[in-house]
Amino acid sequence: MTGSETPVVLIVEDEPDVAETYNLWLADEYEVRMAESGDEGLSKLDEDVDVVLLDRMMPGLSGDEVLDRIRESGLDCRVAMVTAVEPDFDILEMGFDAYLCKPIRSDQLHETVENLLERSTYDDLLQEYYSLVEKQATLEATKSSAELADNDEYQNLQARMGDLQTDLSETLGGIEDDEDFIATLRGLGDVEEQ
Amino acid sequence: MYDLTGVLDFEELSAVRPGSSILIAGPAMTGKEDLALEMLADGSRQGQGALVFTTGDRAENVISDYRERVPDLDESKLAVVDCRGESSRSSERTPGGSFVYHLSSPGEITGMGIGITNCLESLANSGAESGRFAFTSLSTVLTYTDQKTVFKLCYVLSSKFDTADYLGLFTIDSGAHDDQTLQVIKQAFDGMIEIREGEDGREARVLGLAGQPSDWQPI
Repeated sequence: MTGSETPVVLIVEDEPDVAETYNLWLADEYEVRMAESGDEGLSKLDEDVDVVLLDRMMPGLSGDEVLDRIRESGLDCRVAMVTAVEPDFDILEMGFDAYLCKPIRSDQLHETVENLLERSTYDDLLQEYYSLVEKQATLEATKSSAELADNDEYQNLQARMGDLQTDLSETLGGIEDDEDFIATLRGLGDVEEQ
Repeated sequence: MYDLTGVLDFEELSAVRPGSSILIAGPAMTGKEDLALEMLADGSRQGQGALVFTTGDRAENVISDYRERVPDLDESKLAVVDCRGESSRSSERTPGGSFVYHLSSPGEITGMGIGITNCLESLANSGAESGRFAFTSLSTVLTYTDQKTVFKLCYVLSSKFDTADYLGLFTIDSGAHDDQTLQVIKQAFDGMIEIREGEDGREARVLGLAGQPSDWQPI
């Protein structure tokens, strides 16, 4: 997510009526981009996009192929797959963050987007927390405890770490249920087999 | 509360809050893994669930070792994630009733999440309402991926076990990494048990679980 700016949702859907319905539901709360094909979706994807709603069955590039390209690009957006039937495979194994089964209701769509944004928030908090932990370790390695007690940077760091721990435990969206937990771990990145 | 004093007699370990995660750090060959497994076995003797995540032993060896520690073990309350990479991602139920999840590599972070989730579900289905988790060893994972990823992994796992009210025990070989790495990794945990080789044998101390670090004590 990009700070306090309005989150950006990219809708990749080949049926214009369906796409327009999603847009109407989401436009009040989010900046919405629309694409009618996988190729167009990829061209409208950049680091500002927080959530992608991706139709699985499209002419041209399929949703699965688009997902692969998104993951290869290294962009850390969340991808919800939209399917016509309940998937009989593990969507998490495939790399999607969530799925929605057509026809989608407005409340389902909102809930899914909010949930995915909360996961992103968790990831961002965890990244920031890690950066501070790293800084703390560096300061502790180079200064005595007397120096640290007088060091404003160190004191601020510790205060900020305390706040972040609170924020992290309140943003359990990252690990609350099993799907969130697995998706968060996937976001840490698997090591490719040599 | 989890009482670990039957295994390691420290005041700080007499009432460990459910959901706590503890890092067990020490040089090679100082019995870190044995300590973690003995703490798990102590819970199993009280009917708690046990989840072993191993990067070094085959699941079948973990299970047979565990049977020796807990002779009247209800094996359905033991689950193992084996990421030695001898098979691709798969799960099985042993004849004794233990649930085993195999990963193809200790660098397969997503698979860890899926394996641990499945194991916890299996333990809950076997009636284990609380339990203990041992991860041996983080040092192996650190050879596959970087410090940042391992820190986040530890943090997310600790949080997961916190919501499940499990006790988490993670071992790390302090001789295999620089001080900075250990300083960073330990921040993902509620406390730490340090082990060292003293002049008269092994010693341990407990940090972070209650007030000041304890003194070194022979074990």
